[in-house]
Amino acid sequence: MPLQIDLNSSIPVYRQIVDGLRILLVNGELNAGDSMPSVRRLALDLGVHFNTVAEAYRTLAEEGWLAIGRRTGARVVQRATPNRADPQSGEAFQRRLRELVAEQQSRGVTRGRIARELRRLADTLERT
Amino acid sequence: MLLPKIVFTVILMLMSALFSIIPGLTRPDLFFAVTVAPDFRQTTGARRILRRFWMMVWTATLAGIAVELATGLTLVSLLILSAGFLGALVSSHGRALAYAAAPNPVLEVNLVAPREGLPGGPILAFLPVLSLAGLGLWVGLNWDRLPTRFPVHWGFQGPDRWVTSTPATVFGLLALQAFLCLLLAGSAWGVLNLSRRVSTSGSRAASERRFRRRVVQLMIVAGFFIACPAWFALFQPSAMLMNVWGAALAVVMLVFVVSLIHLGQGGSREAAAAPAAAEGDHTPDACWKWGVFYFNPADPAILTEKRFGIGYTLNFGNRWSWAVMFAVLLIPLALAGLLLR
Repeated sequence: MPLQIDLNSSIPVYRQIVDGLRILLVNGELNAGDSMPSVRRLALDLGVHFNTVAEAYRTLAEEGWLAIGRRTGARVVQRATPNRADPQSGEAFQRRLRELVAEQQSRGVTRGRIARELRRLADTLERT
Repeated sequence: MLLPKIVFTVILMLMSALFSIIPGLTRPDLFFAVTVAPDFRQTTGARRILRRFWMMVWTATLAGIAVELATGLTLVSLLILSAGFLGALVSSHGRALAYAAAPNPVLEVNLVAPREGLPGGPILAFLPVLSLAGLGLWVGLNWDRLPTRFPVHWGFQGPDRWVTSTPATVFGLLALQAFLCLLLAGSAWGVLNLSRRVSTSGSRAASERRFRRRVVQLMIVAGFFIACPAWFALFQPSAMLMNVWGAALAVVMLVFVVSLIHLGQGGSREAAAAPAAAEGDHTPDACWKWGVFYFNPADPAILTEKRFGIGYTLNFGNRWSWAVMFAVLLIPLALAGLLLR
């Protein structure tokens, strides 16, 4: 179950950890009851400050994905899916998606390839 | 008179031979502490650097042997050898920098990598310290049964240096041995818990785990050997037993050294396949001063894999490393001073 971090990315490492773990949680690769690596262990393996990992775990705990205990460390918990997303979050999602597409285009990725990736993602979402 | 010089010459040549093979034991994508393409070693540039390195090492060795044979100044001979080794390493590191490759910026960490604990558990690792603490307690309760003097150095024919038994010398000796055992057990724990795992999944991770385990086993076994002389000093068994201890120590250490050479740094020689692209050890080249000293304040690891040699070194960018360094240097010196006063 890999967590990937790109050291050359403009996205802060803290955000990459949160995003990477969230993908694993949403896809069911991390399930309720699973123990997360300790803050110290993950920070050592990634070569980042302990606070960076601790902050990422706190963010995911605030989102309801993790429970953090002083003795037990971070553990994945059963998370109740919100019943209804608020209308503003839908707009924010569309804006973010457009921004991502524009960013990829500006890096030289073709429209066709972006469309294929989006279609593949949509297929995966519909299947699960 | 000639025999010690011949023995010393043989030791110097063995040291140089060992130093000469070290570049071949590092990770395939690290060459003289510089991240390079995994197939760089087969190129003409790499071979040229290696030949020059060997030439410098053996020139220093021959100079050291000549000084020893002509003047008998062993310390000067060792200084020449050390300077030659360091010069060869720094020079080769500088040349290898011209071929540096950009390491893969993407780090991958396996979140379910197996947890690694001290082999045999923490009690076994700290048993030498506990045994010395027990010996100290016995000494405190049975002071009258101690000999009036005890040996602090042994030759082939038995003890050749003695000190009078006083509370300062006896407890100084026990404290010194206990500190060294504690240092080894602590280092073994540190390798598992305060160093970075370069690979966490796949066959390379398994080889790396085996390497780490072997290093930790070496430290734990060495702790048991180091605890023995305190018992020998106070109970004064036959010189034969001390010789057996010396021979066993040499054999066990040799077995570990051969095993670590077989595994290669980080288990890289045993790993099924070299990395496809330059990965290095996930530490920046710029943080390796002279290719030997690792200084990276942004890295939380206190211990990191050596880039030249086998085993681990301190991250001098971490303030705790300096605390460890001072403790390692000052505490044994203070206790040895107390013992030999």
